[in-house]
Formats: sequence, C-alpha cells, structure tokens
Amino acid sequence: MSAAIVELTIDGNKVSVPAGTTVFDAARLNGVRIPTLCHQQNETPVGVCRVCVVDVGGRVLTASCVRPAENGMVVSTASDKVRNARRTLVELMMSDHPSPCARQQQSGDCELEVMALAEGAEKPRFARRATSRGRDDSSVAIAVDHDACILCDRCIRGCDDIRHNDVLGRMGKGYRTGIAFDQNLPMGNSSCVSCGECMISCPTGALTNKFHVGTSLRTGEPASPETLHQLPVFAGVSGTFLELNRGAIVVRHFRPGEIICREGEYGSTAFYMLEGRAQVSINTQIGHVKTEGGARGFFSKLSSRLARGAEDHRDEESVRRTIPIDGPADLPLEKPVAELGPGDLFGEMTCMSFYPRSATVRAVTDVTALEMLRNVLDILQRNKNFRGQIEENYRRRALDSHLRSVPVFAGLTTSFIDHLRDKVDLVRYSPGQLICRQGEPADSFYLVRIGFVKVWQAHPGGEMIFAYLGRGGYFGEIGLLGGGLRTASCTALDHVEVVRIGAEEFRLMLEQFPEIRRSLETVATDRQRENRERLAFVESTPLQDFLAQGLMEAQSLLILDLERCTRCDACVRACADAHDGVTRLIREGLRFDKYLVATSCRQCRDPLCMVGCPVGSIRRRNSLEVIIEDWCIGCGLCAKNCPYGNINMHPFPVQIADPDSPGRTRAIVKQKATSCDLCTEHAEPSCVYACPHDAAHRVDPRKFFGALLAQSKRD
Amino acid sequence: MIAAAILLVIATAIYIPYALNSPQGPRGGSAIGLAFGIVGFALMIFAGLLGARKKFPVWRVGRAQTWMRGHLWLGLVSLPIILFHAGFHMRGTLTLVLMILFFTVIASGVFGAALQIYIPRKITIEVLMETIYEQIDHIRSQLRDEADQLATAACGSLDGKSDVDTAPGGDTSASAVEVGVEVREDARDLLREFYLCRMRAFVEDPARSHSPLGDPPQASGIFEELRLRLPRELHDTLKDFESICDEERQLTRQARLHRVLHAWLLVHVPLSYALLALAAVHAVMALRF
Repeated sequence: MSAAIVELTIDGNKVSVPAGTTVFDAARLNGVRIPTLCHQQNETPVGVCRVCVVDVGGRVLTASCVRPAENGMVVSTASDKVRNARRTLVELMMSDHPSPCARQQQSGDCELEVMALAEGAEKPRFARRATSRGRDDSSVAIAVDHDACILCDRCIRGCDDIRHNDVLGRMGKGYRTGIAFDQNLPMGNSSCVSCGECMISCPTGALTNKFHVGTSLRTGEPASPETLHQLPVFAGVSGTFLELNRGAIVVRHFRPGEIICREGEYGSTAFYMLEGRAQVSINTQIGHVKTEGGARGFFSKLSSRLARGAEDHRDEESVRRTIPIDGPADLPLEKPVAELGPGDLFGEMTCMSFYPRSATVRAVTDVTALEMLRNVLDILQRNKNFRGQIEENYRRRALDSHLRSVPVFAGLTTSFIDHLRDKVDLVRYSPGQLICRQGEPADSFYLVRIGFVKVWQAHPGGEMIFAYLGRGGYFGEIGLLGGGLRTASCTALDHVEVVRIGAEEFRLMLEQFPEIRRSLETVATDRQRENRERLAFVESTPLQDFLAQGLMEAQSLLILDLERCTRCDACVRACADAHDGVTRLIREGLRFDKYLVATSCRQCRDPLCMVGCPVGSIRRRNSLEVIIEDWCIGCGLCAKNCPYGNINMHPFPVQIADPDSPGRTRAIVKQKATSCDLCTEHAEPSCVYACPHDAAHRVDPRKFFGALLAQSKRD
Repeated sequence: MIAAAILLVIATAIYIPYALNSPQGPRGGSAIGLAFGIVGFALMIFAGLLGARKKFPVWRVGRAQTWMRGHLWLGLVSLPIILFHAGFHMRGTLTLVLMILFFTVIASGVFGAALQIYIPRKITIEVLMETIYEQIDHIRSQLRDEADQLATAACGSLDGKSDVDTAPGGDTSASAVEVGVEVREDARDLLREFYLCRMRAFVEDPARSHSPLGDPPQASGIFEELRLRLPRELHDTLKDFESICDEERQLTRQARLHRVLHAWLLVHVPLSYALLALAAVHAVMALRF
C-alpha cells in the first residue's frame, strides 16, 4: 500500500482514497452521500454547521468535511447516534430560521428546510428566537434576511476566496453574530459590486435575488450574457448575475421618428445607446399658469392661460437658462432640444427611483439601445468599466453645462472648467445614506447631478429640515467659506449622484473668480440667516403643538373661523371660478382651536412637493413661496407628493404635431401643476374676498397662532 | 350699520313732521311718501342683489362680507322706510299681501341671521369629526364597510355558516381565520348577534333606525354591558364599534344642524323674489293708475 493512499471503512465498505482526502470527500467519491450545509466543493471546508457529522469511533462525533481520512478508520455515516445528532442539529437551526424562508417560498429549495423535511425536523422542539436580527433591503439586486442566515460562511468564502471582493465578513458575538458588508454597512451602501456570488452560495433564503415589478421586459430582444459580454462596457460584469436577470435587459431597435420614451410617463427602465442618434426634447409648452380677468373688466370671470416668463415675469423667477433632465446633458430653456449618441445613458432617475420621464426621446436615425431594469442598471453602475465611460461622458459633455446651469457659476471660464474636468469626482449614494455630517470638517463642495438631497440639522426633539436639493442644487459652500466645519448634515433621499469638488479646487475657483466668491458668500449668508430665523422660531414657540399639526412648516395658511363659517362653500366656489373651474382649496383639513386649516397650499418650509420633480421646475423663491417654473411637464408627481393634497393639475388644450398626418396639428389636453397663487392679480385671494361671513383669512401661522399657543402654554 | 342708522334717523326726521302736518295723514302717493317708497324699494333691490353677488363670487365689486352687511342692515332699515311709505296703513289686497310678505321676509332673514351666529358654534363644539356636508353619505358607506370588516374579522362569516368567508366587498383580509382572533364560539355568536340585530341597522341609517345607539348615554351603557359579557380578546373590536357609532352620531348631528342652518333660506329666498316681483307690480300699478 502506497503512503499516498489511505484505506478506511465507510458504512461497512472498504474504500481507498489519496492521503489528505477528507472523510466527506472519501464518502462522496465512493457514492456515499453525507448531508451538509456549510460545505461546497468549490470552497475551503470550515466545519461550522456540523451537519456532516460521522462516527469514527471516537469520544465524540466528528465533522466529516474537515476530518482527514486515516488508515484503518471505520466510519459510520448513518447510525442511529449520527442520525439523532444530525436531526438535533437541524432542529436547532430550524428553531432559529423563519420557515418558509424567502428561498423556500421562491423556489422551494432552501437546503435547510429540505433537509429538515427529510429528517422530520420541520417542527423543532426548541423555542424560536424571540427577537429579529433584521433585514437589509438596501441593495437593489439582493435581499438580505439575517434571520434566515445559519452562519455557514459560504457567502463569505464566495466573496473573499472565489471572487476576491473582500466585502463580506462576520460581525458581532454570540447570539448577535451575523454576516456584514464592509464595516457593517447596509449592503446597498457598501462596496459590494453585486456579482451575485454570495447569493448563489447561500444555502437558505438569507441572500436572495430581488424580484422586481416586470422583471422581464416584454418588448425587445432579450440580451444573453454572452452577447452582453461582447460589449466593452459589460466587461467584468458578473455572468452569474446577468444569467439570473435574463430578460431584465433587452436590445431595442427604433426607426427614425419613433418615440423611445415620452415625457411625463412613468417607467422603470433606463436606456443605454449602442448605435444611432436620438433627439431629446421637452414638448410641453413652456409657460406657467396665469390667472387674470377677461377683456370686460371686473364683471368678467377670471380665466387661466399659459404665459411665458418673458411676457409675464414673476418676482424671483429663476434665472436658469437650462432645464435639468434625466439624461447626460441639460436642455437650453429657449430651445429645449439636445442630441444623444452612442454611449449615452438616460432614464437613470426613472429607473432607480421611479420618477416620471423628464423628456421625450425620439430616434433621429436608426437607433439600437439597451433597455434595462434597475437591478441591471445597479450592477452596471457598480462596474468600473461602465462607470468609467459614464463619468468620462459626463466630464466631456455635461460638466460644462451642469456647472453653468447654476447661476452662481455662470461666470466660470472654459479654461477653468477644462481644469476641473479631471479633478471632480462623481460619487453615488444610496437612499438614506449620509453624504456629510454636521460638525465634521468641510473638505468638499457638492453639486447634485442625480436625485434629491435633504439638508438638515439635528436638534433635541428631532431634525429640522432646511432644504431639498435636486439636480443643479449645491451644498457644502458654507463650511468651506466659513469656519471649516459642516453646519448641517446632508442625506440622500433617493439614488443620488453628486459631483464632488475638493476643497483645494474650490478655493482655487474662489481666488480666480472673485464674483463667484461674492455670489456664494451672499447665498451662504442668506441660507444662514434663514436657518437662524427658523431656529429662533423653534426656540420661541411651543413647538410640539405646532409640529403636531404640521403648522410649523407652513408660511401662509388659509384658515376658516368655524364659529363664523356657515359652511356655504362660497370660498370653494370662488376659488373654482377664479381658476377655470379647478378649485385649489378644499374646505376640509386640520382643526386648531376654533379654526379649520383648509386644504390649500401652505407654502411649506419643508416642501415635499419638490422631491422628485424630474425637471426641477418646482422650487421655492427666496421668500419661501412655492413657484412652478415654466418648464413643468405636467407629470403630476408634485401633486402626488404634497402630503396635504394642495397641488392641482390644471388642464389646457394645446396643439401638437399630428404624427398620423405629417404637417398638421391636433389638439390634445396637457396639464400643468398649479398651487394656490393667492390670486396675486388682486389685492386679496378670491376665497377670502368671497366669504360673506368674515370667516376666511390668509394668515402667517406663526403670528396668528403664536398668541394662542403662548396662551395655551401659560394656561 | 352706521349708514343704515343714519338713513333711519334721516327718514324718521323727515317722516315725523310729514306725518304730523299732512292734512290727510301720510300716504304713499304723496311726494314724500313716493320718495320713501322709491328709497325702500331701492333698498329691497340692493338686498336682493346679494344673491346675484354670490353667484359670481370672483367679481371685484366689493367684498362679499361688505355686501352681506349691507344686505342685513339696509334690508332691515327698508322695513321702517316702507312703513313710512305706507303711513303704517295697508290699503287694498295687493298692499296687504305685500306687507305680509315683507314682514315674513324680514322675520325669516332675522331668524336666519340669528341661526348663522348660533349654529356654526354649535357645529364646531358638538361635531368634532365634521366633514364636508356633501361627503356625509360617502363617509357613511365607508364606516359601514369598516364595521362589516371588523365584525367579520372578529366573528367570522356574518351569516354564521363558515369562518373563511370573505368580508363584504371581497376583502379576504378581514376573515376571522386570517386575523386569528381566537375566542369562544358563544362569545362570537353574541357579538355577531349584536352587530347584525342592533348595530348594522344603526350604521345603515342612523336617523331612521330609532336605535338606542343614537343616544350617547344609552350607547355607552350597551357597550359597557357587552364589555362585561364578552372576553377581553373582543374588547378592541367593541372599542372600534363604539367609535364608529360615535362618528355616525356626529355625522347625523352635523347633517341635522346643517339642514337647520340652511333650511330657512327655502323660505327667505323665494319669498324675497316674490316680494320684489309684487313690489314692482305695485309700483307700476300705483304710478299708472
């Protein structure tokens, strides 16, 4: 007998295997199957689940996956003692496992549950875990259920030993032990590249592929992993994952003139142009809703129409000359049209955050594009080849217009922007991720490229929100201009991408462009003053009462004195009459003392309506009033977002080119968002003017309720 | 109000010497009587224009509140001026009818004004869950559905045949099995009987059911008794039932008060139009004949 061969007996059969072979492999090579959970053939055995225990005649049973075979060893893999021990182990794991777990529900092949069923241990005798270890849904592609994890380490070995990504590890001790991404970050915020190895290694439902609405795209040719890997941008993308998500990315062909996506429509996909040229444009008429009297003077009813900023300039109307869209470049306001070509990605916000399409894209030549769902886009965004190309495109084509679209940077010279091109970083953040923290040293200036950022300060009793910033918004200048510390925290509200300009480049910019320094200082001073005023108010008002009804966030409330109001609805009819039959107020809402806070725009300080506007057309003036800019595309997201139902969609008939009859036009109904305009044409809002009982008033809640609140506090 | 008071003082100052010095007593056909008639009629027309003003609320022809005050005070002053015009006499059938109409209109207006001061306060205090009047029926149907779902969740099928039947509206989420309320069968039967025999009719139509649940003290007593008889597991359902009944009562109260608040207009407005029409006939006839 050679020294390199060992002989042993497994379940009564003599077998020979090379020296160094484990008992598990010796059994496997000779057709004896030993159950296991933590061991896979392509991974180094660790022997943590102990399910593969066998009796080798020792004092205790041994884990066969790590125990080397020895000469003369007599192994029993299925004796009563072994089976009882294995059954108890499975029962113990089942008592700590949600049954059925996600994998068992999806495909019925959770290894633990299948094994428990085979062992008759599906209903364990032991008490179940009382507290949950939690879920992590932060990744777009993979769902993590820590409760279903049996700590077998297969995912960790898959990530570290097979893929060499070194993202996964273990954290915690004892009962709190769990798998962790990086330094225990949420998976979506970690450096995970979504290769999918952990998921396919997991024996249970702890790591599962997320199913998305419309996981398979119905139109287009499904793109196989092989086809995709032939494209340079897909080099390095996990084939496993593309296979798992087959159908979530398709090749689409468009003829010249064909619409690829239409503004205002809801969707869930992004497009990556492979060939051809397309035109991106905004077709909704540029203009805001203007309500005014007719030609017959005060006896005529008011009517609403669309007016352009040039003919009806409103106070503090935006000085922006570009419209931010969900694509690689902004559109000029005067002629909102641009061209897209190979390598351009558009529809990211729609795909990642389900915002409405911001613009219409029409094929100019024959176009071939990849259409993908968010799980695929997320994987691509984590792939350095793809990211590299998108960033290069941005630096080359969009940085210039993006910077110049911000009024304070309009004066930057081309040479300085060229200098910045290679200095700026594009950084992505997941929903809820902190971008910078109040009190930390300020080391960068940020410009929002995609998504929405919440600016807030922590105070006893909760956070105070200062602003929501969308594309074109910027932050971080106060810390860099002032004492070097962040004065507020900034958090990503959805999938956010920011352009980060380092402190050094920022200072260089200020030195070279004193007018930009002055503008930024003015903005910083205004923001600080506004923040101070809000804080002063918070400290001087019985906040709980105010906060309880959301009144603190309002600047102007329509209140009805219920002791005077005869419920005649004259206010509602007046509002409807003043706005072509579309009322902007409802005589219902919160009550405060004897006052009813009617459902009408409150000009909130925390205007949630602005979050998600795909073209950034809703914003606040410096006076904090809400203004809807001319380029609103009528998608209605702001109306849905307003928690008080105070934004209405105003329909207008407009003429558009008839695609069925070239050269002719046809009338369609388009909508524009409107909120209470306080009937600015007149000295007094129509609702207040029409109230015969002196019950309706427009008030500043802080002044109006201040005395009441102070009195109630004294009482 | 000041304008109305001044007008009244001036009119009285003119009328007293005129009445004392007229040999045949004050008459509507005299120059001063005619002037009183014209002014009184003008005031009546102005008061009547409030209706038109309300039809066009965005017309910038003065605040609605100003019009309302004018309607109230000038309308009120029109009474003594018309009496001055008639010399406190009613000659002929048409004049008699006119006067009766006029007094009725003024009285209904004063009554309505008083209601408009009193009732809104009452609604504000008594109806904390006030909603838009036109929405009451809709909210009632929502409450009815909610009550059915709660009953189904707690008692199983309301017909008592099967526990896995769905709630009305096809909502399977409310089935007793899914919600998992485990109570004795007799307790469930008791709750089901209460719901079907007493509460359901009240929730369907609180005004016509004449149910004791419409009376807060009686309702409170009924629920208290049920609480004693039913196991603790069903107390949450009882609490929800109680608040549904409370909301139903409030909606009933609101509807009733709303009708009271606006019902007087059914008298005031048509009679006002009739008054204006007959006053115009009276003016034409008096001037022509």
